[in-house]
Amino acid sequence: MTQRIDAVTAAVIQGALDNIAIEMGHKLMRMSYSSIIRESEDFGAALTDETGRQLCECTFSTPLQSGPIPGYIRNIIEVTKARGDELREGDVIMHNDPYGGASHGPDVAFAIPVFAHGKLVGFSATTAHHLDIGAQTPGSCGIVEAVDTYSEGLQFKAIKVYDAGRRNDAVWYMLNANIRAPHLVVGDMEAQIKAARIGAERYKILIEKYGEETFRAACEDLMDYSEKLMRDAIAELPDGEYSATTYIDGYMDDFDPGRRALPICATVKIEGDKMIVDLTGTAKQVDDRPINMPFVGTTDCAVWLTVRSILLDAVDYGAIPQNAGLTRAIEIVAPKGCLANPTFPAPVIARFCPGNQLADTVMKALAQIVPEKVSAGIGNLRIVALSGLEQSNHWVHMEIMEGAYGGRFGKDGMDAVDTLYANTRNNPIEDIESHIPVRCDRYELHDNRCVPGKWRGGVGAVREFTFLSDAGFSIEGEGHGFKPWGFDGGAEGMTASMTLVYPDGSSADLPSKVPYFKVHAGERLVCEGPCGGGYGDARERAPEAVLADVLDGLLTPEMAYVDYGVVIRNGAVDAAATAEARAA
Amino acid sequence: MKMIGVDVGGTFTDFVYSDMESGTLAIHKVSTTPADPSKGVMQGIVELCQQNAIDPSEIAYVLHGTTTATNAVLEGKGAVCGMITNDGFRDIIHIGRHQRPEHYSIRQDIPWQARPLIRRQHRKTVPGRIVPPTGEELVPLDEEAVREAARELAAEGVEAVAICFLFSFLNPAHENRAKEIVEEEMPGVFVTTSSFISPQFREFERFTTAGLATFIGPKVDRYIAHLDAALRDLGMTAELRIMASNGGVATPKMVVEKPALTLQSGLAAGVLGGGWIGAQDGRDRLITFDIGGTSADIGIIVDGKVTETDARSTSIAGFPLLMPMLDIHTIGAGGGSIAHQDRGGAFRVGPQSAGAEPGPAAYGRGGTEPTVTDANVVLGRLAPQDFLGGEMGLDVEASKKVIADLAERLKLSPEEAAEGVLTILNANMANAIRSRTVQKGIDPRGFALVAMGGAGPLHGAEVARMLSIPEILVPPFPGITSAMGLLTTDLKYDLTRTQFQLSTDVDLNRINGDLDRMEAMLTTQFAEDHIPPEAISFSRMADMRYQGQGYELTVEVPAGLIDANALETLWENFHAAHAAEYGHAFRTNPIEIVNLRTIARATLPKLGALSAPAGGSRDTAFERKVQTVFRLGGKLESFETSVYARAKLPVDEEISGPAIITQKDSTTVVPPDASFRQLPSGSLLITLGEVK
Repeated sequence: MTQRIDAVTAAVIQGALDNIAIEMGHKLMRMSYSSIIRESEDFGAALTDETGRQLCECTFSTPLQSGPIPGYIRNIIEVTKARGDELREGDVIMHNDPYGGASHGPDVAFAIPVFAHGKLVGFSATTAHHLDIGAQTPGSCGIVEAVDTYSEGLQFKAIKVYDAGRRNDAVWYMLNANIRAPHLVVGDMEAQIKAARIGAERYKILIEKYGEETFRAACEDLMDYSEKLMRDAIAELPDGEYSATTYIDGYMDDFDPGRRALPICATVKIEGDKMIVDLTGTAKQVDDRPINMPFVGTTDCAVWLTVRSILLDAVDYGAIPQNAGLTRAIEIVAPKGCLANPTFPAPVIARFCPGNQLADTVMKALAQIVPEKVSAGIGNLRIVALSGLEQSNHWVHMEIMEGAYGGRFGKDGMDAVDTLYANTRNNPIEDIESHIPVRCDRYELHDNRCVPGKWRGGVGAVREFTFLSDAGFSIEGEGHGFKPWGFDGGAEGMTASMTLVYPDGSSADLPSKVPYFKVHAGERLVCEGPCGGGYGDARERAPEAVLADVLDGLLTPEMAYVDYGVVIRNGAVDAAATAEARAA
Repeated sequence: MKMIGVDVGGTFTDFVYSDMESGTLAIHKVSTTPADPSKGVMQGIVELCQQNAIDPSEIAYVLHGTTTATNAVLEGKGAVCGMITNDGFRDIIHIGRHQRPEHYSIRQDIPWQARPLIRRQHRKTVPGRIVPPTGEELVPLDEEAVREAARELAAEGVEAVAICFLFSFLNPAHENRAKEIVEEEMPGVFVTTSSFISPQFREFERFTTAGLATFIGPKVDRYIAHLDAALRDLGMTAELRIMASNGGVATPKMVVEKPALTLQSGLAAGVLGGGWIGAQDGRDRLITFDIGGTSADIGIIVDGKVTETDARSTSIAGFPLLMPMLDIHTIGAGGGSIAHQDRGGAFRVGPQSAGAEPGPAAYGRGGTEPTVTDANVVLGRLAPQDFLGGEMGLDVEASKKVIADLAERLKLSPEEAAEGVLTILNANMANAIRSRTVQKGIDPRGFALVAMGGAGPLHGAEVARMLSIPEILVPPFPGITSAMGLLTTDLKYDLTRTQFQLSTDVDLNRINGDLDRMEAMLTTQFAEDHIPPEAISFSRMADMRYQGQGYELTVEVPAGLIDANALETLWENFHAAHAAEYGHAFRTNPIEIVNLRTIARATLPKLGALSAPAGGSRDTAFERKVQTVFRLGGKLESFETSVYARAKLPVDEEISGPAIITQKDSTTVVPPDASFRQLPSGSLLITLGEVK
């Protein structure tokens, strides 16, 4: 690796870039209104060069928001050029084209071109998941029956909301008239613009301080550096092809077999210091249901994030610069027209959970060559959207139901967390109940339900909500139909479920995707989360660890005996009986 | 009045003695005794009194900064804890916010899952439920179930119990009743409630804070009792006061009840010490910058007040802590920070540290990694005869060797590598300061940097330069600023009440009622400390946000009865704070008052003014000339540099850099384009020139 600039300056510029992205994220999160941004942290902030190559990202925003920013920028550049328009100082560009980087409409970017000495040098951009973008039903999750991108809400393709500094009021009038809860959404968008402007200002000062030449040299070095880290890690892997398949539920109760039990296939090919991730074999796109994953923004990010999290695990590598260099060694192949590379205008708004399953599939393929760096199969997520009307104003609330990790080499799976490419936060119960007509009745781990393995699967959570007034409700999720994979002799994980319980005690099981429907005051939603797969032979689990799980109420003594061959008597391990049981 | 400040640090325990009448000041230092820090404390007090012929019985106050609580959490060595919480919510402190600390890691540990404060087997649930918005009881507390849970916990050998119910910040009745029952069933066991520790919304954070309190409670209790008894054994009648994270001191009783108050005890004293140094010389906008061996602590003082964190930004060992705290930002950057090339070949400094053992190569204790201290030695800024008064010596050759090795790996000259180590470290620190100033709408250019800690004065000027901060103050004893800070505090207690009130519909009675009640409770609290009501001063703050936002900003609440006019002022304060912090106010949006807080202070006697030693002159202070390397205008150059003994410096005489000023507990570096003078207060003022 030839260096263009001294290592000291490169390190100092890296620190300055990271600091800018963090400041952008910090301000956006704190200024924003809707819980999906401020509590769930479903937003992103990044700087790119003038061609859209990422230079840094905000470290605490969601990877799936910052990661796609380069795709947005590249498309903004293309579209602007195709129109014969130019980017000017003072422009603020709004963009959410699902096939132009956004990968689904609710993730709206505001990008600001940055000029130094009159020349375009880069972009400062923020993205955020908005509560509502004018789709067919309230909210921006659970729109699971959208038939094409037009039914998913408004599409903004490189729209200048500020044109050379002049505010384009028409766009804002239109927004206010076409989205629900505009007071929240527009407030969030304004926060995004403010944060992007701060980034642009700091970016410009940074370039001017070091001079464009030095700055660019540092950026090239930093990208080369990240590339080298990834290439070195890939080079350590044995050449060859490693395949895995998992399934998504799709629409489990659908009459059309083309909409349910859809395979996701990944073949990881290692060739020296290069990796090809080939998704051939993945189900073909669903033309009229929105679970398709746009290649740019979902498929690519899911692959990159997974490979990075496994090969360059932060536990071993610390913080490494997240920039365009990191992905150069990885090529992704996805046949046009498959779930992982759909064609416009196939709908995509509910691509979140399939994308996480794709991440899990890539991990399953890699498990064959780096068994000590992966987890067994993860439990996927469900997003619930709740909405209602109060004096002609909509309230909308979205809640992500966590999954759980599979067991890991030397460690149990993480319990009740967001998994793989998702890393949002829940809303405090004390916040939810104070602000929307819902009561939380339960939020805790499953009792006596955990997946055996030498290192057991992470335990999922159970949540129960009672509606205090009539409301609209929808679900966009995965993991009701297929168990997370066990690894190396560990047991398969457990599926998730969702049940609506009526006041008279009767109930209805819900599939993992439910379009908007009305629920009534007094009805109760029971969400049982998935449990991750087990890792290794349960009979090799340390008896003390089994005992601890029994004492913690995660296992019964009977399960300890049946699943682990551990005999527990009077709150202690019976070593002799255990040895006997395990020998049998 | 005579007072002693004692600050327990990782390596040393520092002492400052002050006699307010005579103006006498004495300092002392002993090695910290980690197994039982009170040993070192007592040894130091005995020695200090002997050396200065002080009668221990004449000491009126011992003010103490302790790391007992912090270390218990960092090392995971606390009490076996139990929890009683609502049915259906056994795992709030285990699930947390269902977010992983690291985005890009499969193998990470989640602190509250890998190192639980309270294990699941000791978390018991009972029927009972309070609901918003008023704290009404939906399900009565099942007292029999509480009693049963307490018996189970007792049988399981639990040493401390946290009672944590949802919405207890609105109505603590269930928590309070459960506490009574548990105390009946488990006499002598430490029991606390989440609403007592931190009555604010967000259950994971509040329950965890209560969990932390129980985890450290018994240990803090024992430590304080131990220390207090040892003081009495020495014939002392002095009142013991403990430094709290909120920047005030508290009585032993208070600390035993609310042990989490002490989680940032030592750090808080440092910032106060820095603030006091600045105030001596009429500066009230300060950045305190305390660098030790492994970390740098940064505090911001605006108009004489130390900024506080918002409740969502504080954590310890990865656990969120929902308590008012001074905003002290710690980064892993200090004299022992190791310079290295990472796997991708990038040049990094820290956060790994060589610590005190083996320490930098220069310590000659077997350290083989190049550290910041070694870089300072190679550049000629630290010399063996100056370091700790020459008592310890420095192995210059060892430093040269490790830096030369680093330089070879980086393909740089040894001077370039050494200077690079400092530049990277200084840039990391400057970024940390930026995150606390520029990012919050504070322009550091109007501030002075107070360079403290053993290594602060080595780096202060260059860090200030990176931030365009024009002046740097170096306290008379930079290494014991925390201990001095202890002698500048007040007794300070605060209480919080969550409101969730909107500007469009304010219940003034509730606001005034809550403010009155908090004031009354604090007055009672002080009465127990024998402080009469007339000696107490109150201030009130509100945590506010625009309706729908998730993060609050803290603004001052006007004094007196809150009426429509006072509310207008309050809204205006909030818009202004929002504009200052984020560069924008949303003036037409409704505002939500999330919490009201009342802070009560009772003043304690303080350290008197310091003065520079008389009779010094530039000539007597001059020791020698050395060659030191600086980067100036982008170029690395060697400069002939004068070394001065600090104790012999003249007062108010400007001396131009480059210069090195030595004293026992620190070394100050003045770059070539700067000058310095000793102020009448004894502090050094370094003034940076224009960038050339």
